Amino acid sequence: MHISEGVLSPTVLACGYALTAAGTYLGLRRTDYSRLVTTAVLASVFFVASLVHVPLGPGSVHLVLNGLLGLFLGWAAFPALLIALLLQAVFFRYGGLAVLGINTFDMAFPAVLCHYCFRSWLGKAGVVRIAGAFCCGAVSVAGAAVCTALALAFANEGFVTSARILLVAHLPIMLLEGCIVALMVSYIAKNKPELLHFTQ
Amino acid sequence: MSSTAMHQTDPRALLLVAGGAAFCLSCLQSLVVSGTGLALAAIFACVCAPDWRSLLKRLLLANLFVLFIWLTVPWTMPGTDILIIGPVHFSREGLLLAMGVTLKCNAILLIFLTLTADMGLLQMGCALQKLHMPVKLVFLLLFTYRYIHVIAEEWKKLQTAAALRGFMMQTSFHTYKTIGNMLGLTVINSITRSHRIYEAMLLRGFSGDFYLTTELKARRRDIIFVSSCFFVLACLLCADLYVTCCHV
Amino acid sequence: MSDSPLLSLNNISFGYTGSPLLFDGLDFTLTEGEQTGIHAPNGSGKTTLLRLAMGLEKAQSGTVLFQGSPVDSAQALHHLRCTVGFVLQNSDEQLFSSTVLEDVAFGPLNLGLKPQEARDRALETLESIGMAALAERPIHQLSGGEKKLVSIATVLSMRPKALLLDEPTTFLDEKSRGRIIRLLQEMGIGRVIVSHDRDFLRQTTVSLVTIKDGRIAPCSL
Repeated sequence: MHISEGVLSPTVLACGYALTAAGTYLGLRRTDYSRLVTTAVLASVFFVASLVHVPLGPGSVHLVLNGLLGLFLGWAAFPALLIALLLQAVFFRYGGLAVLGINTFDMAFPAVLCHYCFRSWLGKAGVVRIAGAFCCGAVSVAGAAVCTALALAFANEGFVTSARILLVAHLPIMLLEGCIVALMVSYIAKNKPELLHFTQ
Repeated sequence: MSSTAMHQTDPRALLLVAGGAAFCLSCLQSLVVSGTGLALAAIFACVCAPDWRSLLKRLLLANLFVLFIWLTVPWTMPGTDILIIGPVHFSREGLLLAMGVTLKCNAILLIFLTLTADMGLLQMGCALQKLHMPVKLVFLLLFTYRYIHVIAEEWKKLQTAAALRGFMMQTSFHTYKTIGNMLGLTVINSITRSHRIYEAMLLRGFSGDFYLTTELKARRRDIIFVSSCFFVLACLLCADLYVTCCHV
Repeated sequence: MSDSPLLSLNNISFGYTGSPLLFDGLDFTLTEGEQTGIHAPNGSGKTTLLRLAMGLEKAQSGTVLFQGSPVDSAQALHHLRCTVGFVLQNSDEQLFSSTVLEDVAFGPLNLGLKPQEARDRALETLESIGMAALAERPIHQLSGGEKKLVSIATVLSMRPKALLLDEPTTFLDEKSRGRIIRLLQEMGIGRVIVSHDRDFLRQTTVSLVTIKDGRIAPCSL
């Protein structure tokens, strides 16, 4: 999912940073230190969970979980993902510094959208909650794939087909992520339902 | 500049050069200049990198996306056919684009890996704070780093507990439900823990101002290092501009 | 050492939402220099008592006084927390900085010391407990025993008048437990220690109480 260095044009890189800076500013402004600690710990969860191999057919995939982060953090998903991706670049050389802005935006923007679209569903019981969680997981991955594909396509016309292939390749991951997030939310609803009643 | 000297360099200088190199090299359009950039980065890595084998291993991992580009671009980008294998037409433009990406990506990564190999997270946090990044962002960086290890350990314990009861990962609803439950538990524990961490901060008098005690002192050699690197990058950019204009 | 109460909980009634009252008219006092252990069964409210004392929970009725004044404002709470140290049961919740030195310096920084002064104070504290060699070590590389000692150091660096310790020997081996006993014995500082370990309490406190029927009751060491 992360675009590596040397692929995107300076214009796309600059736009990525500008949009991420705006999102991060909004995220940090609305977050006091109490919520910032929660943001940090959830960013750590995102980092660790993204290393989990989930079997899918003949192979396995890594979970994205940007939707889940968006659900709990809202706009704070921007700084959380920025830091998590920076740490991935430092520890695993996954991504890089120049592409950090666009990679963060690709994941955080859909996460924030899902926060506003689906968080109210999670406060309701039964099928509505499960549907909301599934949609959050699936749509956030779809959104990230679309943003990544658009970034590639805008960078160079030679990447248009690569972008389309990337989108199609993410279809099974979308469905899997939707299922996993639905199962996670179902577990949280049984064990600590108050976490699903968002006040922000 | 040996790896020991790199370790002694002000982390602000290292981050500025890493960031500057990433942006400047991303802007290059000419293959010749990109190749020159890669050669210079390789020489820099040879002189300064602490561990060549680890560097190469990380470089390989990072080239997975580049591999994706090689597998998709040369035969899908329209242009002058350079190779035809059955129904598949490889275009010159596609090959050149993939080559350019490969050269630039590896040049940027070699520099980034070399500069940050010995940098601790605390040093990075201090450097970012001194470079006027928002304090809350630095706070987030250091706290996230701190708790990655805690959560990773807890996750390992959950995996072990499941494995001890015969759990094996397969493409099945049982597997997804188990992973969902384990991740759900991790999220609950993490959010609960975060409240207690904040309480621990309050219990030690925290009242909204976050400080780091590590001082950074830029020396003349750090300024010379940054200036020299930026001079080289500027030369590469000028050369790229010249070569691109000549071809146009 | 003064006889005036440093911390007193008067006629405290408290229960968690949806649960019966844990404390009903509880009185507890800590004078300066006093060293008390609390030994009680699981679920009796030992940790809750400490949390109430430090303003992390709010009693349904009763008052918490610090140096004779009610703890009813943010300022009073801040003053209390800068004077009485609380060592949490879980070191991973107490230690949140990148390195040992940064964590031990965190409290002094909040007291208003300048960064260099805070570093010096932190180093001095680490030296006093024999942990100076770990100053630049990342927290996640510490063993359980080291984490517990560093947790205590994070609070000692604030030069508190009293310490509250919640189950300080949980998950510690004999050697680490012994180190903590020696450290506490060398310190004359007043303390309240909550523990299941009666032998530990015998060696580190002077008097012992228990919690019975929601109130403090005497207990023999």
